[in-house]
Amino acid sequence: MLPKKRVFQRKRVCRFCTDKEVTINYKDPKTLRNFVTERGKIIPRRIYGTCATHQRQLCEAIKRARQIALLPYSGATQR
Amino acid sequence: MRRYETIYILRPTMSEDEVTAVIDNTNTILGADGGQMISLDKWGLRTLAYEIKKETQGYYVFSDYASDPANVTEMERKFRIDDSIMKYLTIKLADSIDEDGIAVARGEYEAAVVAAAKAAEETSSQEEEQTEKSPKDAKVATTEATANDVKVATTEATANDVKVAATETTA
Repeated sequence: MLPKKRVFQRKRVCRFCTDKEVTINYKDPKTLRNFVTERGKIIPRRIYGTCATHQRQLCEAIKRARQIALLPYSGATQR
Repeated sequence: MRRYETIYILRPTMSEDEVTAVIDNTNTILGADGGQMISLDKWGLRTLAYEIKKETQGYYVFSDYASDPANVTEMERKFRIDDSIMKYLTIKLADSIDEDGIAVARGEYEAAVVAAAKAAEETSSQEEEQTEKSPKDAKVATTEATANDVKVATTEATANDVKVAATETTA
């Protein structure tokens, strides 16, 4: 069963846990851009495999960045 | 004394003098009752992610400071009255900060500035070094390159997966 499972599920590791240099900061929209869709939605962690702790921090950061107009709430008026 | 950081966005049409006047005003409000500035950065003109008060650009000012909560509410009240400030965001970084803490924070800020300057210098000097590489270095470079390629390949794969998933959800 195990090898069969591996075919379908690629093991994803949290990017912030593996790479310590990538930090979550709401003042850094360039990094945060990677974690929202083109429409500006936050990408769920089931897709990126971010761990719970970092996904929480990420959400906070993205929401703050939206408040101060560094990231869009919705739509891709400027990209 | 608490530690806060505030970002405020000014109208892009303002002159440099007007900008400094607004910054001075807010700093005097925050400086009451022994409030102290830790750092102040003018990010300058930036394009906004969405329109604010019909403007597509804004002049960002970032400040890090230690002050009393009363000063912060007063500053925000003034911000709401002042037409030149389009938007602001205040975040509490620490519940309490003393003189030593302020000094440490200032030191960290200065160190960060120095490090940023150094990094900028290094990137420019690295480009020069790469052109003057000896054959020995070249070997190392090739091995590094292959390792990098592998990494890129894997990240590309994951990126594609995400894209597919994203399109699926939008569809």
